[in-house]
Amino acid sequence: MSLTRNRFYSFLIMSCVAGYAWLWYASTTASSTTVCLSKKITRIPCPSCGTTRSVAALFHGQFTAALYWNPLGLVVFLILLISPCWLLWDTLKRRQSLWNSYLQAEKILRKKSVAIPLIILVLANWIWNICKHL
Amino acid sequence: MDAQKVDMFIMSNGKYFESHQIAQIRERLMSMDENKWVMIQSVPLKDPQTALIISIFLGSYGIDRFYIGDTGLGVGKLLTCGGLGIWAIVDWFNIQSATRQKNFEKLQQFLY
Repeated sequence: MSLTRNRFYSFLIMSCVAGYAWLWYASTTASSTTVCLSKKITRIPCPSCGTTRSVAALFHGQFTAALYWNPLGLVVFLILLISPCWLLWDTLKRRQSLWNSYLQAEKILRKKSVAIPLIILVLANWIWNICKHL
Repeated sequence: MDAQKVDMFIMSNGKYFESHQIAQIRERLMSMDENKWVMIQSVPLKDPQTALIISIFLGSYGIDRFYIGDTGLGVGKLLTCGGLGIWAIVDWFNIQSATRQKNFEKLQQFLY
């Protein structure tokens, strides 16, 4: 299975729907259900544990709480907000600007000068997550 | 290109591709110019079995996707705890063919 333009768009729609459904589900149930394989098996939280709580906090406007739960939530929040609008724009205009930007972003992320600082940031966030006992 | 060289390439690198792609690769290599041989040999191919092992142990962090060169999907997998755990499990079964497909795409840049 290789990622083509149409596959990418359908995949993005699916993940956006899944993301909002998951947010809705997590907000309606009081108990914190975890689906993280890492946390279930090893009891060690993964780098992105707490993202749901972070995004939920952002939707309620609690910026500092969101940063405390997981700074990566900010990235997910932006993707969740922007990508449906961008998708709609592309469909209406019959363009593929989102696909092109995705490929461009992949290229930039592969550069060592960008990748290494990001890896260090994610690792630091991971250590913070473990210390917070998420 | 020399048939012996092509067969040697297929023998040593066959496991990196899907079996139905082999015939096509062989045909293209046979009709190719000799001076591209060095380039063809230096294409960085990823081992599907290594990808599977990475996927089983580090799949929920997206490392398997980074390994085969799907950086964007890797980031997506990392940010969502392995797609809420579902994508991580799906990829245990999917990653080997994804690796072979990715290898084929890499080789194709030189074949055409």
